[in-house]
Amino acid sequence: MNRFLYDEVLHWIPSRGRVLDLGTGDGAFLERVARERAAHVEGVERDPNLVSRCIERHLIVHQGDLLDGLDQYSKASFDVVLLLGTLQELIDPLTVLKEAFRVGDQVVVSYSNFAYWRGRLQLLFTGHAPVTRALPSAWYRTSNTHFFSILDFAAFCADVGMRQVRQLWFNPGGRVRRIPNLRAEYAASLLQAEPGSALARHREESVH
Amino acid sequence: MTKAKPNLEGDLQDQAHHEYSSELGVTTVQVARLPGFRTQSGGDLPFIDIAYQTLGRLSPQRDNVVLVCHALSGDAHLAGINPSTGRPGWWDFHVGPGKAIDTDQFYVICSNVLGGCGGSTGPSSINPATGAPYATDFPPVTLREMVRAQAMLLDHLEIPRLLAVTGGSMGGMQALIWATDHPDRVDTCIPIACCLAHNAMQIAFNEVGRQAIMTDVNWREGRYYGRPLPRHGLAVARMVGHVTYLSDYAMHEKFGRRLQRPALPEDLFPDFFSVESYLQYQGESFVKRFDPNSYLYLTKALDRFDLLNQRPAREVFGPVQARFLVISFDSDWLYAPEQSRELVRLLKRANLPTTYLNLTTPYGHDSFLIRNQEFSRAINHFLTGEYRKLHGVGVRPAAERHP
Repeated sequence: MNRFLYDEVLHWIPSRGRVLDLGTGDGAFLERVARERAAHVEGVERDPNLVSRCIERHLIVHQGDLLDGLDQYSKASFDVVLLLGTLQELIDPLTVLKEAFRVGDQVVVSYSNFAYWRGRLQLLFTGHAPVTRALPSAWYRTSNTHFFSILDFAAFCADVGMRQVRQLWFNPGGRVRRIPNLRAEYAASLLQAEPGSALARHREESVH
Repeated sequence: MTKAKPNLEGDLQDQAHHEYSSELGVTTVQVARLPGFRTQSGGDLPFIDIAYQTLGRLSPQRDNVVLVCHALSGDAHLAGINPSTGRPGWWDFHVGPGKAIDTDQFYVICSNVLGGCGGSTGPSSINPATGAPYATDFPPVTLREMVRAQAMLLDHLEIPRLLAVTGGSMGGMQALIWATDHPDRVDTCIPIACCLAHNAMQIAFNEVGRQAIMTDVNWREGRYYGRPLPRHGLAVARMVGHVTYLSDYAMHEKFGRRLQRPALPEDLFPDFFSVESYLQYQGESFVKRFDPNSYLYLTKALDRFDLLNQRPAREVFGPVQARFLVISFDSDWLYAPEQSRELVRLLKRANLPTTYLNLTTPYGHDSFLIRNQEFSRAINHFLTGEYRKLHGVGVRPAAERHP
């Protein structure tokens, strides 16, 4: 993803906080979180080879598929749950977010903005689905299963009862402050579950 | 899935490895005689012998000890060449200089279980009260008692703490008992391909093995010492056990439907498949090194094991201090990954730092005995990382020293 984004997301993590990283990959970012925020960190990753890379970094990591749920964790075990660059790959993102809000107080998501102007131009002028830095693979090779924009994500948040406490937008040059849905290639949001939402109820009703 | 052709697989003890050479060279097993032992069932043993092997060098701080617990058919001969059989130890692929458990860095101990037949006291040992083998007068021992006997051995060797305790299958269950029964002695625990308790299917396979032994006419209520052994029963028990350790893929790759030899006039049925021949060989070679009564005692101890034993997980794991690396194999249908995940769930909910790795291997339960680089690297990096965390100073991962 975008290094500016990772640098900024680090500041959202409370010092000495408890952090769960969903789809942690080779653990490179999680290792930074542990080091730079003195955080207690743990990752979840599906690919055994990437789990091994995390073990080599001396991280605590759990091999598992996010879609199977997170029932190995008790509710409210973490201050922050990270879901970076993974949301668009999840067949059922709402189920994963429910579980993320059950085990964590806040959730950080990041995703690529499908309405970034380069993609829009490619679609308009070539008639092909966009292939960009943020969406590097052709449709039949990509691991993404959903394509959405910053506006779409805002609508999703409103629909399921998540509040975007903070939002940041980026393109290759750094932060984007104006007209993000056109100008930003990546977005990150710090999310809270609205009281009374299905997300909040899932946590309250959870027995463990 | 990596579908590499199986080369060396299965129990190293049962393979003829003419070309195999161990970096450790010839290694030996010693026996410690320990004072009296009373089992939970009320059995009194005036003394017990525990056979054990040590590899590597104990650090002056005694902080680099790795205890390896063996599985059902294993013994104290962990790695290196056994001088009496010429065969490598059962975990030679993973224990040695620059290997997963690096004997250049760690002091590695492996002991034969109480009730076994690899030099430790068991049903085939002489009962000092009668001068004859205990046979079925030997008290039924549990896995917890095997671990208690091991703890006595460590006291005898003046080893206060374990950097790690590990093992596969029955060895993994012992590792879990170590972490829960001796919480102040265990820094890290690496249970591999094991479970919290046997399920009905696992008990069922063991019972088939036990019945094969006990219905052999030579078993004679276990008092066969000095007479013909119930060798057919034990061989059949081993055959059924061995099948459960493999996978359909491994068996298909190795044997397919190949025939072992052309038909002979005396054959009852025309086609003698390679897999039949292989199992018969496995059965026969096992008979040469394993006591049938020990097989009964150990499988029953396995079936009776229940880590929680009706107690709440909070109570069982409450005192535990160890950090965990739990490993399972996706093709293992005997100790299925779901059983390891259940263990992981309980450990994590008890707030114990737990890493879980489910490796993709095609070889079934036996995967932990087979050469596997990912498996080796995971254990090696976990151990070196934990040593660094605990003691501040580093031991280097084997890969960096043996590129």
